[in-house]
Amino acid sequence: MTSPDLLRRFLENAGNAAAGTHIVSDATDLCRVLSDIVPGTDPAFCPGLTDKEKAAAPALPCRAADYAGAAATVEEVYGAIAETGSLVCVSSSGRAVQAGLLPAHHVAIVSRERIFATLDDCFASFPEDPPTNITLVTGPSRTADIELTLAIGVHGPERLDIIVFLSEPCSEA
Amino acid sequence: MSDVQTSLAFRANATRALGDASLRSAMRQAADTFGTKRADAFASVADLEALRDKASALRLQVLDRLQEYEEMFASRATKAGATVHRARDASSAREIIAGILTDRGAKTVVKSKSMVSEEIHLNAHLEKAGMEVLETDLGEYIIQLVGETPSHIIVPAIHKNRQQVGRLFAEKLGVEYTEDPQVLTKIARRAIREKFLNADAGLSGANFAAAASGSLVLFTNEGNGRMVTTVPPLHIAILSLEKMIPSLADLPTFIRLLPRSATGQSITSYVSVITGTRKPGEATGAKELHIVLLDNGRTEILSGECREILKCIRCGACMNVCPVYRTVGGHSYGWTYPGPMGIVLTTLLTGMAKSHPLVDASTLCGACVEVCPVRIPLVDLFLKLRERRVREGFSKPMEKRGMRVFGKAAASPSLFSAGQFLSRTFWPLVRAFGGKDVAGRLPRPANVPFHRQVP
Repeated sequence: MTSPDLLRRFLENAGNAAAGTHIVSDATDLCRVLSDIVPGTDPAFCPGLTDKEKAAAPALPCRAADYAGAAATVEEVYGAIAETGSLVCVSSSGRAVQAGLLPAHHVAIVSRERIFATLDDCFASFPEDPPTNITLVTGPSRTADIELTLAIGVHGPERLDIIVFLSEPCSEA
Repeated sequence: MSDVQTSLAFRANATRALGDASLRSAMRQAADTFGTKRADAFASVADLEALRDKASALRLQVLDRLQEYEEMFASRATKAGATVHRARDASSAREIIAGILTDRGAKTVVKSKSMVSEEIHLNAHLEKAGMEVLETDLGEYIIQLVGETPSHIIVPAIHKNRQQVGRLFAEKLGVEYTEDPQVLTKIARRAIREKFLNADAGLSGANFAAAASGSLVLFTNEGNGRMVTTVPPLHIAILSLEKMIPSLADLPTFIRLLPRSATGQSITSYVSVITGTRKPGEATGAKELHIVLLDNGRTEILSGECREILKCIRCGACMNVCPVYRTVGGHSYGWTYPGPMGIVLTTLLTGMAKSHPLVDASTLCGACVEVCPVRIPLVDLFLKLRERRVREGFSKPMEKRGMRVFGKAAASPSLFSAGQFLSRTFWPLVRAFGGKDVAGRLPRPANVPFHRQVP
């Protein structure tokens, strides 16, 4: 599968799972999108560990010190899977995977080159001793426990936004 | 509803269920929804049959070498920081779990859905020991509030309609009555969130255990499974032995099959892979992880003629298509596991003496075999269990006598034709006096036997 196909397929499947999808190509772009989707008055948690997380800072005027009380978490994640439209969140390098679980809004930034084609490719990327927690996240938290009627936002986020960061200009997308 | 098994009363249970109009309508609606969603979800799978073959082969491979995988899992999980316990039966599992919690002074326990914990009646035991156990899956939360047991292994409160849930929440939680599922869900979120943050321990099951890395795998939609396994400092997971898969490289096969078969989703909102405890420098995971591997009769099933039931990955597809389950609902089966897979597991795990009427709870139509993602030959297993019921002496006296008489007649042509004559002659009388049940079910004997109708 070529790279534009992979991106298209990922965005389509993530969208089908009720995630909002956005594409950015630089830091300015990232901040513009973040200002649109995260209200400036919402306390947002952002670990600020990676370059992309640092680049997000200007767009988050109200920073929460801890994810537990935050309205939103903005973070860069390990990767994504085109086959299922999933994000791959892992606990490596001191990351709290539950930061993307407790707040009602989860905003995940993923680099375009971290999109795996299939589930198999994703699991093949881990060492023999995997990190303590690997969580595939596909769309917001949901249930159908009452009359099999879909309800969004149970114990996890009711809103999931995915921002794909293109590291180089990409006309096909 | 209690922890007492009522499988022997299957017929009476089913009769009562048939008279319950709201149950019938809930089950009808569920059956239609499941059917459509499952078909849609599999439309995106290129070669479904090959995928089922692969999954079936993997599950058989695990059963063939179960002890080896179990040992590998235990050693890898231990290396990653978990403590692995082995429980031979339900009571030892209950003791182990209660012991861990008591030793650490744990008072409040949040729990994500686990059918194995239902099988061993864990909640009642922990509550008796003075702990507060809160079910956090919405369906389980609903039935815990009413004091019932699950009637479906995936959608535990499938037998409840929105009005019943609305009235229940109004009564037990003191909220204003609403029957909007979205609003009811938010009410539950608020009620449970506080408990998550303050719980002493989290209790979960597992959908799979990957032997090569010692990892637990949990599929959830609500996010409660993630909460239970990452927020409290202590996590206890209970799973039965046969949940093993060789390694995480085999997980994609089951990710492709399980949610599609269970709820018609191409993947659940969350798939969590948990390997051991929080390591130094990490910010995720329980500080202490205990894994209880439960046998409770599995080893015995493994050496018997019905071992293929242990391939089951608990998707619930067999019950969703079963004409008996769809009509009488899950509680009629009288134990933890309902529907086709439940018939087999209940009979094997609790014994024929406590469950023999269940082996009739199938029309042998084979719809379950058609949908089973791991190709369990359920109809063959029903027939084996029916044979076993006869061998163990649990068939009904009339059936036994009837079969003996038929056996004699079938061995002698003259007796057989005398029987044919008698049945033709007396059939109108039987119809007239046998009541409407017999009249409806007893076909008219042929005037000319079939073998003479064929030229």
